[in-house]
Amino acid sequence: MSGILIIAEHIQGALRDITGEMIGAAASIKEAYGGPVYVAIISDNPESLSEDTNLAGVDEVFTVKVSGPDFDAAVYEEVACQIGAETKPGLILFGHTVNGMACSSAVAARLGAGYASDVFELGVEASEIVATRSAYGNKVNLEMVFPGKGIVVLGLRGATFLIPEEKGSAAITSKDIDVSAVTGTMTHVEYQEAPPSDIDISKADFIMSIGRGIQDKENLPRFEELAKRLGATFGCSRPIVDSGWLPKPHQVGQSGKVASNCKLYIALGISGAVQHQFGMKHVDTIIAVNTDPEAPIFNVATYGVTMDIFELADALERQFN
Amino acid sequence: METREVFWGLGTPQLLLFYGFGIAAMAVFAWGVWRHISKYRHGSPLPQSLNIYSGIKRMVGDVLSHRTLRRRDTMAGLAHAGIFLGFLLGFIGTALIFLETDILKPLFGVTFWKGWFYLGFSLSLDLGHLAAVLGIIYMMWRRGFLGLSKLDYMRSYRGETDMRPAASAWKIEDWCFISFLLVIELTGFTLEAARILVDQPPWAAWSPVGNALAGIFAQLGMSMEKANSIRSSGWWLHGLMGLAFTAAIPLYKGKHILSVLCSLTARDPMPLRRLPKEAEDAESAGVSTVSDFTWKDMLHFDSCTKCGRCHDACPARTAGYPLSPRDLILDLRLHNDKRQGVGSNDQSLIGDVIDADTLWACRTCGACQEICPVGIEHPSIIVRMRRQLVDQGNMDPLLQTTLGTIGDTGNSFGENSRKRSAWTRELEFKVKDIREEAADNLWFVGDYASFDPRNQKVSQSFAGLMKAAGTDFALLHEAERTAGNDVRRTGEEGLFESLVEQNLESFTKTQPFTRIITTDPHSYNTLKNEYPEFGDVAPIEHYSSVLADLLRTGRLKVTKPLNRRVTFHDPCHLGRLNGGYEAPREVLRSIGCEIIEMPRNRDNSFCCGAGGGRIWIPDQQGTEKPSENRVHEAAALGPIDVFVTCCPKDLTMFEDARKTGGHEDDFIVQDLAELVAEAVELNSISLKDMPSLAERITDAVAIRIADVVAQRIDKVLEARLAAFPVAQAVPQLETVPAVESVVEQDVAAPSEPASDITPVVEAASPESSSPTGVTELKSMSWDNMTPVQPAVFSGYQAPPKDGPRILVTVKHAAILGDEHAFTSDGRDILPEYLEYTLNEWDDAALEEALLTIEKIGSGEVVVIAIGPEDAEVSLRKVLAKGADRAVRVWDDNLACADPVIIARAIAGIAQVEQPDLIFTGVQSSDHAHGTTGTALARILGLPHSAVIIGVEWDGSGKLSLVRELESGTRHLFELPSPAVLAIQTGINVPRYATMRMIKQAKKKPLDVVDGSSVLDGTGGYVIRKMYVPEQTKAEMFDGSPEEVAALIANVIRDKMGE
Repeated sequence: MSGILIIAEHIQGALRDITGEMIGAAASIKEAYGGPVYVAIISDNPESLSEDTNLAGVDEVFTVKVSGPDFDAAVYEEVACQIGAETKPGLILFGHTVNGMACSSAVAARLGAGYASDVFELGVEASEIVATRSAYGNKVNLEMVFPGKGIVVLGLRGATFLIPEEKGSAAITSKDIDVSAVTGTMTHVEYQEAPPSDIDISKADFIMSIGRGIQDKENLPRFEELAKRLGATFGCSRPIVDSGWLPKPHQVGQSGKVASNCKLYIALGISGAVQHQFGMKHVDTIIAVNTDPEAPIFNVATYGVTMDIFELADALERQFN
Repeated sequence: METREVFWGLGTPQLLLFYGFGIAAMAVFAWGVWRHISKYRHGSPLPQSLNIYSGIKRMVGDVLSHRTLRRRDTMAGLAHAGIFLGFLLGFIGTALIFLETDILKPLFGVTFWKGWFYLGFSLSLDLGHLAAVLGIIYMMWRRGFLGLSKLDYMRSYRGETDMRPAASAWKIEDWCFISFLLVIELTGFTLEAARILVDQPPWAAWSPVGNALAGIFAQLGMSMEKANSIRSSGWWLHGLMGLAFTAAIPLYKGKHILSVLCSLTARDPMPLRRLPKEAEDAESAGVSTVSDFTWKDMLHFDSCTKCGRCHDACPARTAGYPLSPRDLILDLRLHNDKRQGVGSNDQSLIGDVIDADTLWACRTCGACQEICPVGIEHPSIIVRMRRQLVDQGNMDPLLQTTLGTIGDTGNSFGENSRKRSAWTRELEFKVKDIREEAADNLWFVGDYASFDPRNQKVSQSFAGLMKAAGTDFALLHEAERTAGNDVRRTGEEGLFESLVEQNLESFTKTQPFTRIITTDPHSYNTLKNEYPEFGDVAPIEHYSSVLADLLRTGRLKVTKPLNRRVTFHDPCHLGRLNGGYEAPREVLRSIGCEIIEMPRNRDNSFCCGAGGGRIWIPDQQGTEKPSENRVHEAAALGPIDVFVTCCPKDLTMFEDARKTGGHEDDFIVQDLAELVAEAVELNSISLKDMPSLAERITDAVAIRIADVVAQRIDKVLEARLAAFPVAQAVPQLETVPAVESVVEQDVAAPSEPASDITPVVEAASPESSSPTGVTELKSMSWDNMTPVQPAVFSGYQAPPKDGPRILVTVKHAAILGDEHAFTSDGRDILPEYLEYTLNEWDDAALEEALLTIEKIGSGEVVVIAIGPEDAEVSLRKVLAKGADRAVRVWDDNLACADPVIIARAIAGIAQVEQPDLIFTGVQSSDHAHGTTGTALARILGLPHSAVIIGVEWDGSGKLSLVRELESGTRHLFELPSPAVLAIQTGINVPRYATMRMIKQAKKKPLDVVDGSSVLDGTGGYVIRKMYVPEQTKAEMFDGSPEEVAALIANVIRDKMGE
């Protein structure tokens, strides 16, 4: 099998990270699987994004001009299938994003192709794709294969694959695709940005949470400042919210929010009651800091530190100065 | 002869007038009483019959001893006793005079109101009335000058700053009543003094108060004439006031004189310990209108004298929650009097009269009913009103989630039941399984003691103690369900009943045991008092009395007396509800602890705040937690070492409160069993017991070696399995029929040559117990595409449409606990490690469908699940919530179906149903593919969108939709209908289906469709391997703060790519 087609994702005139990440994923298996690697940009002004997609590993960028700038699942599906029929890639990549979810499995069902979503590891064995995803709240991983499938469509997990740092030398080709049959079902109205102050634990990829270990409300601002400095979303355990020190949206845990998209979680002065663990134990990398070496948080943490959180906070502040 | 003339100086007309007044007063009295009785007649019947004899016996004892009135307020009790005595004697005296004057004398000429009898009675009356006057004066002083918070009707605990009009009226009522009493008493004495002054009887000393007053009158120079006129006017005044008082009794506070006697007689002998069952034929759950209250409840309302003892004792009120048991009862009384026992359409009982927040504030600790002198059972009233709230879904979302979790998993932690006895693995010995081995004791562990890490340590200590004492015990292991004590107290009666059923069934499937023991007072209470109403339960004992017995009999020997100063917290469910005050104290004394009692101890113990399901409801902002209030009380005792608990929830609450309340340096919180373990030096006991220790060590080592070997073998096998190129695996015989079915399917679609069938993927051995089954994928390429088609269910028919039809896909999603094992082919989880629940996203999709149809006002919601019979649990749940019909498609070979195949099956049903909209959840909580909706739309050729957080639709035409993109950007757009929409959680708050509604939903139609034609090889993937990602216990960073911070910084930069 050979040939990889990537459907680029963009919003409001800018590429989204997932596009580069898909290119990185494709580049990482290109040798074993076989090229070429194509990227299709679907937009009313696709040329403006073509240079940004021209990253190391890409052989050809297709610019597909359509009537509007905004994502339309039906149009994306149609373009993927038509370019696919022409270039015959063995693998078609989408992001497992809100947009990607709205068309990747449609393409798979339309072609009868192999399909897996939320894939975070990509491998090739005997020139066949092996995709890894997880299930049951990241408790188990699944390796999936697609025997007999001459086409495999995958939705790749975001913020997982690395974006190639070097520029590529791809040819930029304009593709004329007739999407008139599917255009116009969706009517775009507008985008509304989320209020900037909104904190959303469930979406944050990096969270620094504090617990009772901070002892006093007066100590709160310095930890909030530290979180900002680290670039982390500021979370907390239930007692902090119960004490009225932080508003509810900050709370991680059973009665608060689950850190469902978190990659790195730092727990400062949190002992790790089950209720709190409920919201964060699945996170890939957890750093726990607590003075009690027996604290249950260490059972779920990747890295542990038994230290006074104030001393550590001082040192971290210096590190990130 | 010593006597006094009753109708002194009255002529016949006056006498007739007086009798006329008397009869009028009696008539008003009778009318008042009748009004109450006719009100009570609108109440519901009692759930269980009343034992009048024992009720009266208990009432007479309580009234005569004034036991309930003297508690925690001796002075008020004495004052009331004085008033009671005065009026009781007055009543008896009046009755005797009536007996003589109106019956015995006219009929038989018998008189007895004379001589020594008269003198003796005169003396007691005089002294009795003196006591009453003193009592009344104290009561007035107490109300006027003591400023007792319990007598303040201002609802400052709920932030009110103005007195409600009704509360002002209560205040006036109180003063009228007490002043009325005083005036009657004082006119009586004045009259008596005047009579003595006029008559100068030689036996005047037998009326010492009247005599003394007469002396004072004489001293003040009262003339005989004056005394005579006082006597005659006083007689009328006193007599008429007495009659007025009698007439008014049923109309105001005075009614307690009668209602309390009935209220005390009708008391439930096991209040709160055993809550009343729900009537089987009840139209709606619990109490939703006044006529749902029993006549006894109404009698209780009428008995309240506003003494405020409950108001003082209530932990919710103390912590600043909007509940005062006193005000609750008074509000109910006011409403019930207004409605005369009949429900109203204009004013809803819950909402307009009583706030839902008030009802949810209760911890069902029983402190109010315990101290209520008139026998009001507030918690039962509250819980029955909560049943209605639960039925309406009017509850905190977290509570709703927890109840759902308990329904799904049988425990409030949402853990897999296999993990229930995980805590026993750290013990040095194996704990028996009662399902396999008989034992003397069955230990019912309960949720907190099983799953909460801190409490697991206590469970381990107690297990060690039992073992050391040679007490034989066993567990139910995963067959145990939460006992349901607190579930019942939240008002989810149906769920409670289902838990009772499950536990009782587990009890019937055990080997013999003679006694149940538990460390959990909540389980203890319900197993002891409530379960027997549903089935046979062995006698149950709390571990505090088990430990007391083991220490007393020397089976546990204290080798290291602790010499600590401790305070002990009485758990509500052990102490107040079941009288278990002494055993834990005996244990503490025998291990050498000095007990410093908190001011609120034993029956006045102050609840930790976790009861009544409150542990599952977040605390309200700006309130002090009851547990913090309690630890402050302990800290104020002066130096103590340990705050001792004997309830798992207490341990959790007070461990927290000790930290948040700022008492970390003052004392530690420990469980009784932990202290005993220390005092008997449990950790060194096994050394004295060498032979069995050696055996245990050998066993333990053997088990560990076996574990290690097994793991290694697993790894080797896994590696070999992985090394097999899957697609080349040799097809097994058993897979042939499946291949044939594919061929058949292909015949139906002749465009697919049969030669395209790929070799079957099968790595399992023939004897494998794998449920995974076999997926075979049809070969395809760009030159040979195999578009997925809707499945064909030829026999399936849908009823004709009546308005818009929304189809909602529902998954009975699996939950995997922390522990699990894989099938022998390593491609799936063994089914026994999975528990199931309604997929959260589908719940939101269903809610959105229901809301949409409700808004349109016509149409139906049809739900579909692809799953085995077990999936009907989730279908019943959504039918209970309001879906109209359900369809379930299944065939065992679909166990290995991927989401595209599932979409094909749904599409088959959708083609028959022709819905106007299809809602799916964005993803399922188990596999989280996020695929089905989009694939389904493609197969059906419908427009679609994923991650919808807003839907506007009028039943036809365009859909106005909102999509939520990453980082919170909202995308507003429109699609034509019909369409497929994948709904995101958070778009709504799904309603709650009570167990009662789920049972009722069994009447709704549920079609089962044969899915054997679904699997056709067009699926998307084959799972080659399932494995646990590498996980390690935290790798500890050591070093100076600088060094550690540098290590952390590296992790951050590494992970976040900074």
